[in-house]
Amino acid sequence: MSQKFERRGIHVDQSELLCKKGCGYYGNTSWQGLCSKCWREEYQRARQKQIQEDWALAEKLQREEEAAYASSQGAQSQPQPSLAPFSKFEEKKTNEKTRKVTTVKKFFSPSSRTASKKAPSEKVEKVPGARERHGETLLRDLRGIFTPPWEMVSPTEENHEGKTPSPSVSRQSSTETDRVSRDFVEFLKNLQKPGREIHKQCRAFIESMANKKDLGADELSECVQDFYQNMSDRLLTHFKGSTDRVERVMDQVEKYIMTRLYKNVFCPETTDDEKKDLATQNRIRALHWVTIQMLCVPVDEEIPEVSDSVVKAITDIIEMDSKRVPRDKLACITRCSKHIFNAIRVTKNEPASADDFLPALIYIVLKANPPRLQSNIQYITRFCNPSRLMSGEDGYYFTNLCCAVAFIEKLDAQSLNLSPEDFERYMSGQMSPCRPEPEAWPSAGPGISPALREARRSLDLLASLEARQERVLEGARTLESDLIDWQESVEREVREILGRFPLEVRPPASAIDSDNVENDRLPPPLQPQVFAG
Amino acid sequence: MSGPRVDAKVVMLGKESVGKTSLVERYVHQRFLVGPYQNTIGAAFVAKSVQVRDKVVTLGIWDTAGSERYEAMSRIYYRGAKAAIVCYDLTDSSSFLRAKFWVKELQNCEEHCKIYLCGTKTDLIEADRSARQVDYHDVQDFADEIKAQYFETSSKTGRSVEDLFRKVAADYISTTFEVMSEERGVNLEQKKDPFFYSCCHN
Ligand SMILES: Nc1nc2c(ncn2[C@@H]2O[C@H](COP(=O)(O)OP(=O)(O)O)[C@@H](O)[C@H]2O)c(=O)[nH]1
Ligand SMILES: [Mg+2]
Ligand SMILES: [Zn+2]
Repeated sequence: MSQKFERRGIHVDQSELLCKKGCGYYGNTSWQGLCSKCWREEYQRARQKQIQEDWALAEKLQREEEAAYASSQGAQSQPQPSLAPFSKFEEKKTNEKTRKVTTVKKFFSPSSRTASKKAPSEKVEKVPGARERHGETLLRDLRGIFTPPWEMVSPTEENHEGKTPSPSVSRQSSTETDRVSRDFVEFLKNLQKPGREIHKQCRAFIESMANKKDLGADELSECVQDFYQNMSDRLLTHFKGSTDRVERVMDQVEKYIMTRLYKNVFCPETTDDEKKDLATQNRIRALHWVTIQMLCVPVDEEIPEVSDSVVKAITDIIEMDSKRVPRDKLACITRCSKHIFNAIRVTKNEPASADDFLPALIYIVLKANPPRLQSNIQYITRFCNPSRLMSGEDGYYFTNLCCAVAFIEKLDAQSLNLSPEDFERYMSGQMSPCRPEPEAWPSAGPGISPALREARRSLDLLASLEARQERVLEGARTLESDLIDWQESVEREVREILGRFPLEVRPPASAIDSDNVENDRLPPPLQPQVFAG
Repeated sequence: MSGPRVDAKVVMLGKESVGKTSLVERYVHQRFLVGPYQNTIGAAFVAKSVQVRDKVVTLGIWDTAGSERYEAMSRIYYRGAKAAIVCYDLTDSSSFLRAKFWVKELQNCEEHCKIYLCGTKTDLIEADRSARQVDYHDVQDFADEIKAQYFETSSKTGRSVEDLFRKVAADYISTTFEVMSEERGVNLEQKKDPFFYSCCHN
């Protein structure tokens, strides 16, 4: 049986979507086929190695830079980072070493310097005054190379090898930020003078945010929300009450400012967002045994279109984490929700209602275990333009996602119609609801895993393919014998005709002019001429 | 891809099976649907444009999962709602008690949310008067007390369904129109200033 499994590619094989570490969660191609948790673990390991190498390089460059600086006697102007750093990250590192649990994220955050700071702070001597700042700038620029893949448009555009990085190579403004800025300017051009004003206001706002480094997440959110409010009030006046046009501009404004602010305001260290992320991630892992039946989800993954929609929904909700703009994150949730609606509609053969949707979304969240779920929800809540979030369709799906997460957090025996004893046993891993009688699993039991179901479906398909191939072979054999028959009949016919009309062999026609009646009209044949000398 | 712009969020609240989903279905899948948007994927969220005199408003109607197991999450649903239609089944007195609970919740948590009481399934009462378990005058007293509008509807016959949502839309328009005309007065004074006369932050 296992040999047959090797012939893949007939179906989307669910097992190929699972984490390569075999932990049972869904993997993602952008994480080299791992789930978010395993990927993080892998990534952290690779990261640590790279950080060590990068720091060695950084030290070397810093020494060179300092030597160059010393020789120029401070005559040159100080290079400034394009966006002033949120230096709170540099000031508040006292309790770092005790926070081992949460170090993972720090490798994802280019503005944080936890692990990286340890080594060099012991080796590199502090240079006072401006020179220290210069060195710091350089190091910060190098840290820009540490930007995680999801924050880059294309990893190849960054100099990973770092062979000859100059401070200008990795300014914090990544290619994506630049592209967004260009798009924004293009968009504003159409608005002419007010466009310039909007641009000025946005730039001023981003700069002002750089000075608000010490604010907590709620205050940061308030600043951004005030800015949205102010801007849309002014736009509403300008466009004489056309809310549609205001909305269009506001979408661009949000995209522009949040692409720039993202790194500093997503999952900020002043919050416990990250702790919640890990708690939720662990919670979802602990609930791996929850079945579609326990949640009463009307989704039948036996139907190929349905299982296809489920896979797409999972992919979309996982993709949310890779977006920077709140509205883009929201769009991932909306796409995920539409796939869920499709799965329900196909299963039930009628439009889905709210009663079906929420449990199905809960199921998808449990299956996907989306990375940094709490951080993403908080980020959207804090920084999305509220007119989208509060009333529209996107807002509806987002609210349902919040409910799904709340449900998962509070979920108990009663919410799944289980006895408290069974719930405890499942939670502790003593018992699994899928396999109460192991000999029963290959049959179409209700609690059987989708991967197995998919495998069984592939087997069925192989069997039917085999039958079809048999039929093709049969047909080929018939064709072969038909061909032999045909050849024989043709030969027979030819022989028969030859018998009826025997060949009269005439002497072959002689030279061209022998029997030619019109011979005399032709010019005389050419005579070879002899040229002398 | 994210549907039309929605002006007002309207949430449906009430005990399981009082008829919230049926009410939305009746309202939306019946007759004139103004606007370009048709919700074909399901009735969980519906955007519907309503014209009241010379104004058009788009209501975003939020249906909620009926099952009791999700009731605890309802608070998340009605956040930021402009209107709540609190439903109860006229043939089930317990559902009216539940409606009172929702009203209290809303008054505590969403002061800007306008409340509409909706007794459902009037067709059942018309067929059999003894089926009524919620007294009309009791509801009226309660409605007066909380300053809420009060409707009795049937999703089966369509009775008063249109009136209910129309009232929601009209109320929303009249409140926002007041605010807008106030703002316009201020704007006239600023007319000479260029666009963005001052910095919008500090
Ligand atoms: N006769 C009658 N039945 C109704 C009416 N509204 C809803 N129902 C029925 O009540 C049940 C619950 O309705 P539903 O809309 O699902 O309630 P929800 O849980 O509040 O969404 C369904 O069987 C409906 O057919 C109505 O106006 N008249
Ligand atoms: Mg319902
Ligand atoms: Zn894994």
